[in-house]
Amino acid sequence: MNSPAGASMYESAKKIYPREIGGRFARLSYIATLSLLGIFYFLPWLTWDDRQAVLFDLPARKFYLLGLTLWPQDFPYLALLLIIAALSLFFFTALAGRLWCGFACPQTVWTEIFIWMEQWTEGTRSQRMKLDKAPWSFEKLRKKASKQLLWITFSMWTGFTFVGYFTPIRELGADIVALNVGGWTFFWGTFYGLATYGNAGYLREQVCKYMCPYARFQSAMFDKDTLIISYDEDRGEPRGSRKRGDDPAEKGLGDCIDCTLCVQVCPTGIDIREGLQYECIACAACIDACDSVMDKMNYPRGLVRFTTENSLKQRPSRILRPRTIIYATLLLSLCSGLVYSLATRTPLILDVIRDRNSLYREIPDDRVENIYTLKLINQSHEPRSFVLRVTGFAGIELDGAPGQILVEGGGVMSLPVRVRAHRDDAQGIHAIHFSATAVDDPGVHVEEDSRFLGPTP
Amino acid sequence: MIEEEYRGAERWSRNRQAVFTVVWISFLSAAIGTMVFFALFDPVDLTGIFDADLDIDRDAGYAAGFFFFWVLCALCSGMTAFLVRTAPKRKAKQHKQ
Repeated sequence: MNSPAGASMYESAKKIYPREIGGRFARLSYIATLSLLGIFYFLPWLTWDDRQAVLFDLPARKFYLLGLTLWPQDFPYLALLLIIAALSLFFFTALAGRLWCGFACPQTVWTEIFIWMEQWTEGTRSQRMKLDKAPWSFEKLRKKASKQLLWITFSMWTGFTFVGYFTPIRELGADIVALNVGGWTFFWGTFYGLATYGNAGYLREQVCKYMCPYARFQSAMFDKDTLIISYDEDRGEPRGSRKRGDDPAEKGLGDCIDCTLCVQVCPTGIDIREGLQYECIACAACIDACDSVMDKMNYPRGLVRFTTENSLKQRPSRILRPRTIIYATLLLSLCSGLVYSLATRTPLILDVIRDRNSLYREIPDDRVENIYTLKLINQSHEPRSFVLRVTGFAGIELDGAPGQILVEGGGVMSLPVRVRAHRDDAQGIHAIHFSATAVDDPGVHVEEDSRFLGPTP
Repeated sequence: MIEEEYRGAERWSRNRQAVFTVVWISFLSAAIGTMVFFALFDPVDLTGIFDADLDIDRDAGYAAGFFFFWVLCALCSGMTAFLVRTAPKRKAKQHKQ
């Protein structure tokens, strides 16, 4: 591209040094970070029935989720799960704004961890700024190198854990120790580790500002009753510095002492006092910062706080409103649908594939036959025997299927079968139904429709 | 006014925004596409379509599928971004000196 802006493409962007702040929301975010990452790093090590509790076994095309085994044929569950996830995001956004962004988004959570490591090695905000400006020295090299060491080690562990969701993690660990890792395993681990390193170490809030679609369209889910972080302009303005103990009323000032702490702690570098901005990820660092200042000044807390547009304007806020009721109803019905269908799931799948190469075949005794391939998938963990039947029209018979078909636990049985009928009965196109029933439990029964083609009348 | 030093005044150039956004969004789309596609089709079944002798395992099939989707999505959104951004602007017609 020859646009004039092209020259600035590699211009080093100005870095944000968020200032560290303690407080209620910092503690909340600390807990959220630790528990979410704890789950991510711990889950693959969990064992269930002598196998990894959560394993997306792509080579075998089976997903193990605790006691549940899902197959590619269970795709509707995956689709349903994705829809539920999207709806939950809408619901919580309508209720509590960008709760997801501030506390649960992987981008935020991993950035948080990377910032901790930065603080351990390079110190506080002002120390980091000084260090970056200082010329290279042994001290600077030592600090930068230890930060990189922590970051890279952590990223590699992250990549390893990620791959551990798709390859049994204990075997993977043993393979790594023995330096015997498969090419693709190594590639995906490195890929994910590098993505974590880049996203959490360098891109950080730029991902939220420039690359995240949710950040741009979340405003569509907002209304005047949505919880947002807001500066109380009526109380704060006119802002101005003052000595402790000065009476603001006497000086004609509001409660904001213009210390700019709320701006310094902001990870996206905005000034919350300018109103709600799409860059705000609702991490609440500015609330903690402002509360600590209000405490020092002996003013009431909450100059910057979680509030709604309605309550800022002294109007009543409602939690129950058409938007939240609709989202909640949809969410509840989808969730119960998912639980119900999972609970009543038949651990047996029958796939019928009609041989497309021939319409029908004429065989002796004035009969015609159609050829099908049946796939029986036993989704239970024990071997099971099944009986196959076919129905549809008079005189129809199944050939090629033994009386009882034994399929091992978690196994697939592929069976070429022929369906035969007398040519007088079989003219035209007929709908037929295959069924499979477990010998030990007639409740385990599935049916699958197909077509039988006969000679044209 | 707040000192510049306090402010995260960092802004990406438009080209940088475009490149990163295209790469990232096509990555996310490719991830979803790969997931849905391979939930429905087994890479081992598909290899027979191209070349009966093609003997690749599932892992390689998944990877090839993912990168195929990524490149396709990047091409699509990259072209869209390029055309939107380089479209003739109204002022260009006025022949300003």
